[in-house]
Amino acid sequence: MNYIKHGRIFLIISTLFSFLIMTSCGQTEETTVLPDGKLDKCTLRFSWWGGDDRHEATLKAIELWNKKYPDIKIEPEYGGWDGWTEKLNTQVSGDTAPDIMQINYDWLINLSKDGLGFYDLNQLSDYIDFSGYDTETLSFGMREGKLNALTVSMSGRGLFFNKNVYSEISAEIPDTWNDLISLGEKFSQYGKYPLDLDIQTGASAWYLSVVYVQQLTGKQFITMEGELGFTPEDIQTALDFYKSLEDNHVIRTVKQRAEDDGSSALYQSPKFIDGTVAGVLEWGSAVGKYQSVLDEDVLCAGNYLSSDDGNHSGWFIKPSLMYAISDNTKYPDEAGAFINFLLNDEECAEILGTSRGIPASRKAYEALENSGQLCGISYDSSQYLLDTDPVTLSPYFELSQLKEYYNIAIEKLSYGTADSKEVSEELYDKVKKYLERIK
Amino acid sequence: MKKIYNNPVGESKYTGLIFVMPFVTGFILFGIYPFAMSFILSFTDSGINSSAEFIGIENFRRLLNDSDFHKAVAVTLKYILMLVPLKLIVSLGTALLLNMNIKGMGFFRTVYYIPSILGSNIAIVIMWSFLFTSGGLVNQVLEKLGIMPVSWYGESTPAMFMIVLLRVWEFGSTMIIFLSALNDIPRELYDSARVDGAGKIRTFFSITLPMLRNVIFFNLVMQSITAFQEFNAPFMITGGNPMKGTYTVSMLIYDEAFRYYDTGYANAVSWVLFTMTALFVAVLFRITRKLRSDDI
Repeated sequence: MNYIKHGRIFLIISTLFSFLIMTSCGQTEETTVLPDGKLDKCTLRFSWWGGDDRHEATLKAIELWNKKYPDIKIEPEYGGWDGWTEKLNTQVSGDTAPDIMQINYDWLINLSKDGLGFYDLNQLSDYIDFSGYDTETLSFGMREGKLNALTVSMSGRGLFFNKNVYSEISAEIPDTWNDLISLGEKFSQYGKYPLDLDIQTGASAWYLSVVYVQQLTGKQFITMEGELGFTPEDIQTALDFYKSLEDNHVIRTVKQRAEDDGSSALYQSPKFIDGTVAGVLEWGSAVGKYQSVLDEDVLCAGNYLSSDDGNHSGWFIKPSLMYAISDNTKYPDEAGAFINFLLNDEECAEILGTSRGIPASRKAYEALENSGQLCGISYDSSQYLLDTDPVTLSPYFELSQLKEYYNIAIEKLSYGTADSKEVSEELYDKVKKYLERIK
Repeated sequence: MKKIYNNPVGESKYTGLIFVMPFVTGFILFGIYPFAMSFILSFTDSGINSSAEFIGIENFRRLLNDSDFHKAVAVTLKYILMLVPLKLIVSLGTALLLNMNIKGMGFFRTVYYIPSILGSNIAIVIMWSFLFTSGGLVNQVLEKLGIMPVSWYGESTPAMFMIVLLRVWEFGSTMIIFLSALNDIPRELYDSARVDGAGKIRTFFSITLPMLRNVIFFNLVMQSITAFQEFNAPFMITGGNPMKGTYTVSMLIYDEAFRYYDTGYANAVSWVLFTMTALFVAVLFRITRKLRSDDI
């Protein structure tokens, strides 16, 4: 009798367990909701990352939307950059992604290999006005013939300097690489640094070194198709350039930086706030957070450095931020209407200002131009960049695993655990193999 | 058959099953199911937002040549060796102090437990990380004492020590277990020892420690298991730096799964970590068997 009872209990549990296993292993048929041609009453989740300036502006824009369209409520989900990629990846893989997402250019590679990872925005042309975009800008969001995302702004990483510190010690904002290197000596007399480069999530140390070599050789580090364009010798030149910045007191060593800031981002570091570090390489669309910790008008946009003979090439431009709609959304029309509001609505554009860089949408750009908001360091930097004939950054360049390889290489060089030749060969092999694996 | 009690909710052959179902369901859903799925996924090339294909033991073979994994294992073991003995000593020492018969001891017991409540708070971890920067409070105090400032973030061992200190600071729960065990030691043993002329040190080594041996072992095992899984503190404080000197196996699992989208490999590493932990505990049981027996 007991055996029968135990057998039943075992049967119930094992049936439940097998059911769970089978339902999870089987391919669940996800059907994408098609546009139904009308806006329904609903609540949509919208997520983004950024600094406080972006949060404040976006929340105000949502407030405006809620006033204009009270039937479609927007629930904001926002935070800082650290850990954001991991959070969104988890949401996407668990089918709990927000309806509307601010995404990064390179995420399309992993999150939408076949173009089916996000909603095809072409289907929402009744709600999204694409007329403010040229074909090239639209093409950045295309995957396998599907429009997965719309570019919010085109941006490049530019140099921004603390002009108070520069004028205090009578230093000139640099125009050339040699100007930058020669600043180190002067700044060292005051115990300060003219610039900062990181090996954290931004990997700006490797970024600047690549720009230097691209300008020198005319090659592209990684092509748009994901081919490695540098030779081991080019990589070594980039690493040697980085080391020369450390050796000439232009930037702090990796060790010094870690001791000073711990794992905090530069804009949270007392060394940046008190002017010990007087420069940063940052995206024009994200420089607001550095501005907000300093007094008004202290930070200024610097030139994109050139060789002594005036060669400005090699600097990057990319779609710095994009908006995408989850392929699981139940309300694609409503999400499309909200994206259109964020990108093309005049009032919204004025509220958002340049918190996400200079808008790529012509309509938003004109709205800012008319309201006299096209000014400030983000705008200055974007204008300087256009004068340099920039190259479009490959979406492969910023893949997390590659950033990790760059950072390890820089760290090894900075700590002196390997010379630039060894490090360059190792980095070359790792990058090449990884690119071959993921393509 | 004699009935020994009345069942207030009535009798049914399923009554017991109904009572345990909430736990059993939760255990299957959140325990057995992820456990089994993780095992299955470790034999696949599963990634985020992509279908998984069976690749046999390829992930486990990859582990053999993955220098990051080897380093992470070494870092995790180093962390356990630094943390566990120190935490047990501090917890036991504090428990002995708090076991004394002094007025207002309840207050001190509460105060010493507070770090354990605060420990996992992100704000505390951030505050901790600021304490150890070059201009932080710790180096300022060291300078005042005439000691050379330490490069906490710049070198592997001090960086590891910084994390160990945070975890040692959260000694409350281990200490409470010791304290409770100390209270259970019969007073007569101490009285007899005093009559026989034993001093405090002799009493400690001949009565207190032997009587606590099972509790020490329990804390040793529990702390080792927790240390094997360490993630939060190095992730928040050092990010695994410098030179991956504080990069634990759990951080590697996280990176592989959520940053590099290689969930198949991350699951394989998880299973290796699980096996390592089980082996470590089995070895602890084996080498302390004699010490824990009543024959000593």
